[in-house]
Amino acid sequence: MAEFAPHGTNLTLERVKTGLWACMGVWAVVTVARFANGLGATSGLTDVAPWGFWIAFDVMAGVALAAGGFVIAAVVYIFGLEKYHQFARPAILTALLGYIAVAVGLLYDLGLPWHIWHPMIMPQHHSVLFEVAMCVMLYLTVLALEFSPAILEHPLFHRPFFQRVLAIIKSLTIPLVIAGIVLSCLHQSSLGSLFLIQPYRLHPLWYSPIMYVLFLVSAVGLGLMMVTLESLISAWLFGHPVRKDLLAGLGRVASYVLSIYVLLRLGDLYRRGILPDALDGSWPAGLFLFELLLSAVVPATLLAIPRIRRSVAGLATCSSMTVLGVVLYRFDTCLVAFSRPEEMPYFPTWIELAVSAGIVSGAALVFIFFNENLRIVDAHGHVTPPEAAPPEDQHHGTSNAWRRHSLAFVIAAACAIGFLPEQAVFGPHPEPTPVHQSRTVEALAIAANPPVRRMFHLSSLGGSVPATAAPEPVSVKVIDGNRNWRFVPFTHDDHVAALGQRESCRVCHHQNMTFDQNTGCFECHRDMYEITDTFDHVLHIRRLGGNASCMVCHPDDAPRKSRDTALTCWECHGDMVVRGSIIPTTGAGLTGYAPGYVEAMHGLCIRCHEQLSERFPEHYGTEFGRCDVCHREFQDTDHRRLAPYVPMPPGHVPLLEAAAIEAPPLSVVPVTTRG
Amino acid sequence: MSETTDNASTFAILTDTTLCTGCETCVHACKQTYQLGRDRAWRWKTKIDDLSSTRFTTIVTRPGGKHVRQQCRHCLEPACVSACLVGALQKTALGPVTYDQDRCMGCRYCMMACPYGIPRYVWESPVPYVRKCIMCYDRIKDGGQPACTESCPYGATIFGTRAEMLEEARRRITENPHKYYPHGEPHIYGEHEVGGVSVLYISDISLEFLGWQAELGTEPVPALTWGALSKVPPIALGVAAAMSGIYWVIGRRMRLQAEAAERAAQEGADG
Repeated sequence: MAEFAPHGTNLTLERVKTGLWACMGVWAVVTVARFANGLGATSGLTDVAPWGFWIAFDVMAGVALAAGGFVIAAVVYIFGLEKYHQFARPAILTALLGYIAVAVGLLYDLGLPWHIWHPMIMPQHHSVLFEVAMCVMLYLTVLALEFSPAILEHPLFHRPFFQRVLAIIKSLTIPLVIAGIVLSCLHQSSLGSLFLIQPYRLHPLWYSPIMYVLFLVSAVGLGLMMVTLESLISAWLFGHPVRKDLLAGLGRVASYVLSIYVLLRLGDLYRRGILPDALDGSWPAGLFLFELLLSAVVPATLLAIPRIRRSVAGLATCSSMTVLGVVLYRFDTCLVAFSRPEEMPYFPTWIELAVSAGIVSGAALVFIFFNENLRIVDAHGHVTPPEAAPPEDQHHGTSNAWRRHSLAFVIAAACAIGFLPEQAVFGPHPEPTPVHQSRTVEALAIAANPPVRRMFHLSSLGGSVPATAAPEPVSVKVIDGNRNWRFVPFTHDDHVAALGQRESCRVCHHQNMTFDQNTGCFECHRDMYEITDTFDHVLHIRRLGGNASCMVCHPDDAPRKSRDTALTCWECHGDMVVRGSIIPTTGAGLTGYAPGYVEAMHGLCIRCHEQLSERFPEHYGTEFGRCDVCHREFQDTDHRRLAPYVPMPPGHVPLLEAAAIEAPPLSVVPVTTRG
Repeated sequence: MSETTDNASTFAILTDTTLCTGCETCVHACKQTYQLGRDRAWRWKTKIDDLSSTRFTTIVTRPGGKHVRQQCRHCLEPACVSACLVGALQKTALGPVTYDQDRCMGCRYCMMACPYGIPRYVWESPVPYVRKCIMCYDRIKDGGQPACTESCPYGATIFGTRAEMLEEARRRITENPHKYYPHGEPHIYGEHEVGGVSVLYISDISLEFLGWQAELGTEPVPALTWGALSKVPPIALGVAAAMSGIYWVIGRRMRLQAEAAERAAQEGADG
């Protein structure tokens, strides 16, 4: 136990405070990242895990952990057990700070936190969450009023006005306590009711029609154990004596409450006939048993033994177990026992954890500050008299402490900045989806019903084609950029023939790599969905002679060298651009950027197909521009049907006059390159 | 809302998966109507063509080349509407479940509550909203029909009053009872699930994969919470009364005990 003597010499407390300030430093950094770049960039949340660590810990566990406030208030003020009075104020302060932490945590989790007041003016009383929100708001007010005497007693407020306010609040103690109990009972249970709407997603071992009762009873048990744990921690930090006799009394009550919780939980499973599920050895069953043992069975049993509940070690063990166990209960209900697709697991990012750690640290620092400056522990316990310390000593100690705390804050913040993932700093960006080259394979074309005239049978897939189908050997390009098997079999030869033989390459091939001819699409359109930067600046600098070469491409004297003010590619590489293509490559903002593969292919193909449909409806039909003309799923049928095939119309005019075919509007938006 | 009375005046969509070729014309009509832009491969998206904030409807391809259009079901008693604490989600009289982003506070309880897992979030934005199909409420309010049903080239997805759609579905399955699933005794998906929905399906394959669980009950989901929630006022009053009572009883007993002790002390002093 740390000695508690003149201010600033309590080493344990000072070390803890320094640690808490370090957490606050990390918190400050991740807060900026969270609000600047949004939930997607900083959290692990997804559409199938819309609630994550913040809801489970900050809200669900936070509210439960703050249950000590109303439990002790009931014990002391309603049941008249005055001997527990010394626990009342710390418990109410913990509850107040806990609920403030809940509200602050919510601000991080809500997508639109500046709308947090909306439930007050746009009530929708069929929502459990509405009830929770209103109860938490009101209870926060009640807690603030319940705690306000501790602040108003401070010498700073020794004025008639404040003393009158203090007298009024003190006279309202009992109504406030009763209001607090009512509100707490309602929202502690409603946090369980929140999940009643998810019978299809929550595991049956946790989903229960009486979830609200289970949440309330477990919260009461947890509240008692939390008061115990907190008073042990306070004693360790501030050097108060441990009132083992009183804590043993709380432990005995907690033992009863936790036993009731276990009976209710198991009884409910039995009534619904799924008690055997809890013992079938599956991993949810194991989790359930572990949770129940940790939160209630073991502590309730241990606390029933007088020798254990009268020892500090026994109390510390039992209270820690219940605290961890009930928090685990909330986590299981909210996160773990929730069904979601296997390919989309949820795991919190360290940013989420750091936000919660920061909020808890902030609450702990306020708790310590109040303990040092206000009368939190009643006369029965040890009282810190701040004005008793010699003023100059205190001043000196304080400024030293502040220096240490600021240092911890700044170093932690700097480390956090260093470890921030790229998306949290620069904003979210999509995952890369590299494009795979198309493959040319042999195939047999067989006749099919209109409007699909011919199907392709890939020789590589084996199987057989009936001779009656009159198969014709062709060569097919299998275009499947992202390898999802929804590929387009593209008959390059037929397109060449249809468009005008060798002269027609330039219709589609619009830009070449240096020294290349008719460069393939995937060389530049390298991402399925995102714009690719095709210009290699580093390579150019190296080839052209280092820093001295800037003027080769940036000939103007403008101080800012950018792509817009540089020479265009084709001013040096005349052979790059294919003249007469239907795809423009030389417009403003097009230099060096290639749109996503999907957009590029659709832009190239669809417009032509649509125009053919309009011009030659009798041959191509009116729906030649539609998706399923080209896109077909891989099907494992007898004929391995892949795609329709449309031969040239009779008396076909080569489409090299395709200059008449307008260029499709490719929306290439210049993007700024990231530094 | 009772099921039968409103069928004639609320609208519904009937999707016949046997007619769907998976051409995605409906998806693109939807994208154009709401200017949703292209799909991007974000971290929170496993499949690019899954429902997302840029795809209110999509085609799910099942083994055997079956295509099923997925979208918001516009439940008759929607879980999302009952979950929304600010009334941003509303079940309109015409049938669509609409979303008012000016009310939304971003709690995402609707996404947790939906039995079909439909609502999506604009995770990439620092000012995110919920996104889902609203059955083109503005269009049907003016007597039109949703962009998807209007654009479908095969009539695989059609629009009309819920009564008409149910009648059409019954006609099709009665004419071809062995074409639809379960064969011989076909099922109209959405007629009774979770209290009935406004997007009905008839299909030649099982559509159980569309919900979170194979068997969605016929009980409306909001009823599950309302049972607990409607008890709130009596419980609040009950707890308040009980606490006041206990306080009064215990206070009185302590006062009497104190008086008795005082009397005893006085008697002791007198005697």
